[in-house]
Amino acid sequence: MAQIEIRDLGIDYRKPKSNEVFSAVDSVDLSVEKGEFVTIVGSSGCGKSTLLMAVAGLVDLTRGSIEIDGKRVDGPGPDRAVVFQEASLLPWRSVRGNVKFGLEMQRWSGGDLNERAMQMIRLVGLGRFSDYHPHQLSGGMRQRVNIARALAVDPEVLLMDEPFGALDAQTREIMGTELLRIWERAKKTALFVTHDIDEAIFLADKIVVMGRNPGHIKEVIKVDLPRPRNESILDSDAFHELRKRLRAHLAEDMSSMQLVQEVA
Amino acid sequence: MIAEFFYRRQALVLGTLSMIGIVVFWQIAVDTGFINPFFISTPSQVAAEFKVQFEDGSVATNVAATLYCFVWSLGLAALVGTILGMLAGWFADVESALEPFIWFKYSAPTVAFYPLFVAGLGYGTPTIIAIAFLFALTPIYANTLSGIKNTDRDLARAARSFGARPLDIFLRVALPGSVPVMMAGLRLGVGRALTGVVVAELFGANAGLGYAITYYGQLMQTTKMMVSIVIVIALGVLLTQILSFLETRTDSWRVDSGR
Amino acid sequence: MRSAEITAEPAEARQLSLSFLRPSRSAMIGTLAVLAFLVLWQIAPTMGWVNGRFTSRPTEVLLAAIDIFQNDDFLYHARISLTEFVAGFALAIVVSVPLGVLLGTSKIARHLIDPPLMALYIAPTLVLLPIMVIWLGIDMAPKIAVVFLGAVFPIVLNTMAGMSEADPKFLRMARSFGATKFDIFTRVLVPGSLPALLTGLRLAVGRAVLGVIVGELFVSQAGIGYQLNLYGSAMRIDRLLVYALIVSAFGYTLTVIVRSVENKVRDWRSK
Ligand SMILES: Nc1ncnc2c1ncn2[C@@H]1O[C@H](COP(=O)(O)OP(=O)(O)OP(=O)(O)O)[C@@H](O)[C@H]1O
Ligand SMILES: [Mg+2]
Repeated sequence: MAQIEIRDLGIDYRKPKSNEVFSAVDSVDLSVEKGEFVTIVGSSGCGKSTLLMAVAGLVDLTRGSIEIDGKRVDGPGPDRAVVFQEASLLPWRSVRGNVKFGLEMQRWSGGDLNERAMQMIRLVGLGRFSDYHPHQLSGGMRQRVNIARALAVDPEVLLMDEPFGALDAQTREIMGTELLRIWERAKKTALFVTHDIDEAIFLADKIVVMGRNPGHIKEVIKVDLPRPRNESILDSDAFHELRKRLRAHLAEDMSSMQLVQEVA
Repeated sequence: MIAEFFYRRQALVLGTLSMIGIVVFWQIAVDTGFINPFFISTPSQVAAEFKVQFEDGSVATNVAATLYCFVWSLGLAALVGTILGMLAGWFADVESALEPFIWFKYSAPTVAFYPLFVAGLGYGTPTIIAIAFLFALTPIYANTLSGIKNTDRDLARAARSFGARPLDIFLRVALPGSVPVMMAGLRLGVGRALTGVVVAELFGANAGLGYAITYYGQLMQTTKMMVSIVIVIALGVLLTQILSFLETRTDSWRVDSGR
Repeated sequence: MRSAEITAEPAEARQLSLSFLRPSRSAMIGTLAVLAFLVLWQIAPTMGWVNGRFTSRPTEVLLAAIDIFQNDDFLYHARISLTEFVAGFALAIVVSVPLGVLLGTSKIARHLIDPPLMALYIAPTLVLLPIMVIWLGIDMAPKIAVVFLGAVFPIVLNTMAGMSEADPKFLRMARSFGATKFDIFTRVLVPGSLPALLTGLRLAVGRAVLGVIVGELFVSQAGIGYQLNLYGSAMRIDRLLVYALIVSAFGYTLTVIVRSVENKVRDWRSK
């Protein structure tokens, strides 16, 4: 059986200050194998973050179910860790203090905790910066700390919501390669939300394309590019093919969006 | 409907409820003999006494006396504070020269010099105005100073590139840019001027709200005292609200004029 | 934001405190200004510009200071005033921090208590002094009460603002790691609102010092304010100024200490 089983998932948000509901995600079915790297793409507002937060146990499910290793998700758990889109590092803690945060929540104790945190900081290549505070780091370094914090608690599943969204194109590419290196060593199942088509293909075993109104899965595309990967595959024919397919999907979504706006 | 209204205006509804709650609780606590009315009076007595004092004109007299000192002291503080603040904000050396005195003034409770003022100015209005003036001076000075000093460097540079002279930059860039900060200083100054007037009146005056409070305090007439206390609190809230309103006005004007 | 009241005092306190160590142009000008003032003050009465009876002279103040420290029961009076200050301030902290936390974490409590709280924060709480005297007599108790009333509101309001403005991103992040309510409180809310709390404490210091002095000037049998009143009515301006300077130095030192802690704490989180 797959590690993550999402069945007929639906999530409604209550509109602020009224009783109307708004369906952000509906009828989503998805299974993810252990160790698989799954990227999620789709136009803005189509429910990618909502889907990810549901797997994280941070939003309530309205319909359907999510199971991880056969256990129903009904809140955050030590088997999952989230890398958030925004800078969610605590500004009053050093790099080390931030990486320790998740471990503290899971009641690790003194020596082990320190050692584990340092190990993770070195893994993301920030060994020399462990005593820096977030405001002294660049955007890319902060995202590495975010990743180290999530990896430290040794989750089965790593949930990443546009972790490189705020970075420039070059740093983004470097971070992507870096993430693959770490992932290949840590052997985690990964769900990764992104807006960037190249990033989605480069990282994935499987790409989930989402559509909107309400958020649903349009297609799941398998990516059979060989691993380990590096920048050279960006120019391969298989890559070009996938890129074209994804472009078409997203363009379709954009035009349907315009239609909706014209009608409204 | 009601639930929705409650939800939307939660702050207003709960706030009003709590104000009413305090008054009702105060009344009941005394009526049931839980608190001795001698100590705190009751809302109904205070209301009745307010009517009496209102009709015999003593409310008007006291409020007028307090406001008279208030307006004078605030006006003087605004004048002196703004001028000194502008000088200190524009000329760094003036700031350095004034700084030790301002710091002394800031940390020395002005009332400590009350006896000195009485010696120099005599009991009553001039002393009250002088004390309240010193109370209100600091925030007005400090905010004007920081407003002028933190003039937008880009704007100043742009102005200079168009051939603006220092005086032009001061009048057309630094000064307009500082208005919101100066207004905030004035709002803080309002609260402090009122405190200064009332506190100085506690010590020696022949009219005014602070005077009434001490006077009836010495006679142990709690109800009469409460009337003035409530008026002072209401006055503080009212004056500060007016200034906050003016502050948002000047602020929006600044945004409208486009930066 | 309420902590906007930081502007209510001279800016650049840090520069001033550092400038003692490394004399800069501004420190020299400041010192020169003070010296000039002292000289002027010294000679003005002799030159007949002012009445020396009202203004005294720096040298007289210095002599008075020596005299006061040697034989004026100075320590006795200082201890009384300090006790009132510490008791009132401690009481204010004990009440205001938990109250600020409650108001900062519960929206309903905040909406309920905010209006009366703001009214008392804005209004001159010192007007309650005469009624405190009726309730509590003329000993230390009414002064402790006004110190308390002066200090409590800035601390409550700033703690509340610090807690309620906690970043929702941090709360969600903490929850994702399975943080309990208690974890969130101790590891996110408390450290996050520490700078605001310190701002509240700093603003409270000034109000508390004022409370002690006004309370003692109003009615007392001992304390620094009592001495101020005594020498003021006896027209001993030199001694009056010594006591006023002591109060000033006390308030200044305390404010600078709190501010330097505050700046340290804030340094970690500057953008
Ligand atoms: N807390 C909420 N309450 C109400 N509606 C919400 C809430 N969070 C999200 N939504 C709505 O749900 C829809 C999906 O939001 P979501 O954040 O999942 O989109 P997304 O695909 O992650 O978008 P983006 O790519 O811009 O991050 C949006 O229309 C959004 O307005
Ligand atoms: Mg999103």
